[in-house]
Amino acid sequence: MTDAESLGWWGVPIAVLGGALRGGTPFLLVSAGECLTEKSGKTNLGLEGVLLIGAMTAYAVSVNTGNPWAGLLAAGMAGMVLGFIHAVLAQQPKVNDIAAGIAMIIFGSGLAFFFGKAYIQPVAEQLPGIEFGWWSSHPAIRSALRICPLFFFGVAVVFLMQWFFESTRWGLFVRAVGDKPDAARAMGISVWGVRTCSIMAGSFLAGLAGAYLSLYYPGSWTEKISGGQGMIAVALVIFARWNPVGCLWASLLFGGAQALGPALQSVGISSYYYLFNASPYILTLLVMVLTCTNKKQLAGQPGALGASS
Amino acid sequence: MRSDTRHSTPPELELVKVTKRFGSFTANEDVSFKVEPGTFHALLGENGAGKSTIVKCIMGYHAADDGDIIVAGASRDIRSPYDACKLGIGMVYQHFTVVPAMTVAENLILARPDLPLFINWKKEYSRLREFLETAPFQVPLEAQISELAAGQKQKVEILKQLYLNSQILILDEPTSVLTPQEADEVLGMMRRMVDDKKLSVLIITHKFREVTTYCDEITILRKGKLAGAGKVKDLTTSEMASMMMGEQRKGKTIQKAELKPGATVLELRDVRANRDNGIEGVCGVSLSVRAGEIVGIAGISGNGQRELVEVLDGQRPATGGEVRVAGEPFHMTRAEISKHQIYVLPEEPLRNACAPLMSVAENIALRTFDRPPLAIAGTLLSDSRVRANGRQWIERFNVKTPGPDAAIGTLSGGNVQRAVLARELGPGTAKALVAANPCFGLDFAAVDFIHSQLLAARNNGVAVLLVCEDLDELLALSDRVVVMNGGKLVYEAPVAEANIREIGERMAG
Amino acid sequence: MDEPKPASVIASATAEPPPEPLPPPETQPGDIARERPPARALQWRSKVEALVIPCGAIAVALVLFGIFVWTQGANPFAVFASIYKAAFASTRSFENTLVRAAPIMLCALGTAIPLRLGMVVIGNEGALVMGGLMATAAGLLVVEAPALVVQLTMAGAGMVAGGTWLLIVGALKHYRGVNETISSLLMNFIGIALLNQAVNSWMKDPSSLNKPSSFPIPEEKMLTPLGTTDVHWGIVFGVVFCIVAYILIHKTTFGFQIRTIGANIRAAQLAGLAVGKVTLVTCFIAGAAPGLAGMVEVAAVHGVANESLNVWYGNAGILVAFLARQNALACIVVSVMLGGLLASGGILQRSHQLPDATILVFQGIVFLCILYSESLYGKFSIFQEKKS
Repeated sequence: MTDAESLGWWGVPIAVLGGALRGGTPFLLVSAGECLTEKSGKTNLGLEGVLLIGAMTAYAVSVNTGNPWAGLLAAGMAGMVLGFIHAVLAQQPKVNDIAAGIAMIIFGSGLAFFFGKAYIQPVAEQLPGIEFGWWSSHPAIRSALRICPLFFFGVAVVFLMQWFFESTRWGLFVRAVGDKPDAARAMGISVWGVRTCSIMAGSFLAGLAGAYLSLYYPGSWTEKISGGQGMIAVALVIFARWNPVGCLWASLLFGGAQALGPALQSVGISSYYYLFNASPYILTLLVMVLTCTNKKQLAGQPGALGASS
Repeated sequence: MRSDTRHSTPPELELVKVTKRFGSFTANEDVSFKVEPGTFHALLGENGAGKSTIVKCIMGYHAADDGDIIVAGASRDIRSPYDACKLGIGMVYQHFTVVPAMTVAENLILARPDLPLFINWKKEYSRLREFLETAPFQVPLEAQISELAAGQKQKVEILKQLYLNSQILILDEPTSVLTPQEADEVLGMMRRMVDDKKLSVLIITHKFREVTTYCDEITILRKGKLAGAGKVKDLTTSEMASMMMGEQRKGKTIQKAELKPGATVLELRDVRANRDNGIEGVCGVSLSVRAGEIVGIAGISGNGQRELVEVLDGQRPATGGEVRVAGEPFHMTRAEISKHQIYVLPEEPLRNACAPLMSVAENIALRTFDRPPLAIAGTLLSDSRVRANGRQWIERFNVKTPGPDAAIGTLSGGNVQRAVLARELGPGTAKALVAANPCFGLDFAAVDFIHSQLLAARNNGVAVLLVCEDLDELLALSDRVVVMNGGKLVYEAPVAEANIREIGERMAG
Repeated sequence: MDEPKPASVIASATAEPPPEPLPPPETQPGDIARERPPARALQWRSKVEALVIPCGAIAVALVLFGIFVWTQGANPFAVFASIYKAAFASTRSFENTLVRAAPIMLCALGTAIPLRLGMVVIGNEGALVMGGLMATAAGLLVVEAPALVVQLTMAGAGMVAGGTWLLIVGALKHYRGVNETISSLLMNFIGIALLNQAVNSWMKDPSSLNKPSSFPIPEEKMLTPLGTTDVHWGIVFGVVFCIVAYILIHKTTFGFQIRTIGANIRAAQLAGLAVGKVTLVTCFIAGAAPGLAGMVEVAAVHGVANESLNVWYGNAGILVAFLARQNALACIVVSVMLGGLLASGGILQRSHQLPDATILVFQGIVFLCILYSESLYGKFSIFQEKKS
């Protein structure tokens, strides 16, 4: 953690800011991936498994090649493979995509733990961070402002995705398929193809998020590395109302919430350490309770979401 | 676009001995007809006559098992709607195929087969505006489809095909969701484009008025086979009707006993409810239905009738007002339903009144499972009694099912409706009945049966509230007719004094 | 669109018989409503289908898993033999299997029962942890009482805690439309955090240093093993709970309401069923099962509440619920099989140098195959009633 104590209470907001940028990045990538997937009308709860596979693959490739960027790419590819399995399974008639996602979590984490066992000990070459705190002599500020390029990549992705949905042919296809598959089919759009591509692209992003976890922050491979972030992404997307840029703000919020517990502990408030650690989950639940309604369909919700194919 | 297949006048479309089978079932057999360039061609037939199947073969949804589809003089292998589009054939469906979450502009350009990878909205908008100037009707380009009324949506559907430069337009019962005035407007526009030789139209319909007013030629299907064809001006409607139905069928006049309506049974006071999107769809409806009376609610679909029925059958919470039955407040709880004996025949019975994966017997038991004799001591449920009860009603209502244990979702639509009828009207204890489009999609015999059941119920003193989109049916059955528009009741008259013209105008708003 | 609609002909339902022989109505492809084949024959075929398809899926999963371990340099047949040996071959190993099966079958009910309502609830882990935590707290409050009282108090507290945990999920779904899968998942994390917080502060036994734990339940107040075996009362609780759940769902009017709501909530509303009440009660019952599992883990295995309560039994329960196709009786059998599988994790490590995650991979493959097989029902003509 940061040595925030030297800043006293000021360390808390700085640590939270740092956490928002650092801890929010995986949320950002996963939720952007989930947003794309859900816009096409399917849910992928299995991104949790993808996250683990991504983290393991990236770490293993980085250990073996010494090149973290190769690890990053491999993680995305591994994510796409899992995404493809999910796409095939979740689009079978009578198969519930939530159940398929749970199966993918078990399968993905099984594979990740299986192959990852050998990589718990070795140390991998990490992704570099860009120092934006060079102007400050303070280590807490410098560490808070050391930002991984993947964060900027994620920010670019959400804005690109926004533009993609509005102003590209494939973006319109994805929205049409997600909102009214019958209509899309009548226009000669392959619903299966569009959904498969969306799910695989979403899983690619989740794979990158996994690589971020093991190669940047926290920066090691353990079996508990994902902490349910892949599943929380589904909630984040609801919170963001299926809007990619909304995912950015939601992710920063959750990254910040995650950093709250450790930050408070570092200034001596440790009595509710474990509960503060659960604050992202509590926050997600609160946000869902406050924003959901059973009175009407949520604005922005793709019409086909939750319907069986 | 594809100049190779485009002509200044529409191409000729001909079907030669087209046959389509589904397994052992033959949907179309040796169907041949020709749509001459620049004509308005009607395809007439009862439900299940195979009209939709044949046009789906033209559109490439189904591959015909036999026969040829000839467009512009050459036999074509149409494998998808996209292939059909390339040949200049477009279709407007009975249900909407526009994407609700998108704007009109997005929907229009989405249909373009040559949609560029990246969309320059400025350019697209100017092209769309240019196109709209020549189009027969206007819709706001920036509006989201989900905010449009049904008639507007239908116009977008047709605009979409015109924007695609379709020269043969297939319309599948395009006016079923429109007011008579809207229907005339839309079809009149189509007719003018046909007269200008810009378009050929193949319209699926069962409304003779539309055939005689707008069509040049007619093809009639019966049970999947060609039952007749000819020029509209050479045929009388009764000739068309007899071709459509086979033997001359006696137009059934509905016998209504003269009854003095009794006390008010069902009373609605300023009932309000929201649509799925949270916007108010039922905006203060007050109405009372007396014993021995059928009150018919007329209206174009989407004017709050569905929401109103859902309030009455407990599927939608009311946001205001109250419903009273026999003078007492009614909240659609099981105890109240059972006390007041209120029953419902909802539209789409499989979706609204049945649990598709549960057995026929269990579905029939849905009203009585918690009472003796089906329930033992109020808690245990006797499988054998549920089955026996089911078997009894299956026999009395002649439900065709492999057995009481078959899942009701595997039954045909008519048989599902019969099972629901058995459950709701079988015991004969109903005091009030809410029926919504009970005859939708059923054939003549089934319709007759349901009509006679409704009237029998009325004659026995049941208060009947009937919501029906078919105005003729509604007027034939009702004692009193009201019109619903924009979530409000805007017209009310005893059926004897009702003015059809005024009803039409009120329906249109 | 009007598909070739079955133009069924309704004969008069009242007095007179149909005047003429009914013409065979047109039907859609695959429509079985055309004639009346003997009811027995149809049932026989669909029952065989319901047996053959899952068995086939498991067989495919075994083959895929075999290929997987083969590519990892192990002999698949030897691996299967080891799994069997570790799970079922000896009395000792079978007892070990049953000890693991008990919490799994209780957790399975936590998912299987709400599935009947059409809700995919995955909150077993949280309900188990809360059940264990509250059972411990309650047990410690009455620790001076006779053993039976302590145990009953613990069981009651565990069930109420677990039930309440999933009741919250049901209430959020019913009143606020919150997706039950997501909320139950979040409740898992929150439950585990509460457990960690409790055993690290309020309930912490100062003598538990390596693994922070609650104060222990005295040995003599814990659940005893059955007879001379290592198997504890948990398996009895599990089997009884499964049987009760089965009767509740299939043989009572309340269960009929659950099934109707799950099959089509609109039809249930039309019939005036109290959807909210049934949802809440059902979720409570469903949560009580994993809550009881938590109590069993404390009262029969660990003797304390600590992190060991959170060992994937909840996830195994989700798998079982789907494998058993929500059937509470089938949950018993599948849980025993999965318990055996989990019990064999160690031997794969020792005898075949395969990591313990191998079992997880196997579970994943089985789950995927079973889900895929769901789409195969009705696809094989041999299981369909023949048309005359």
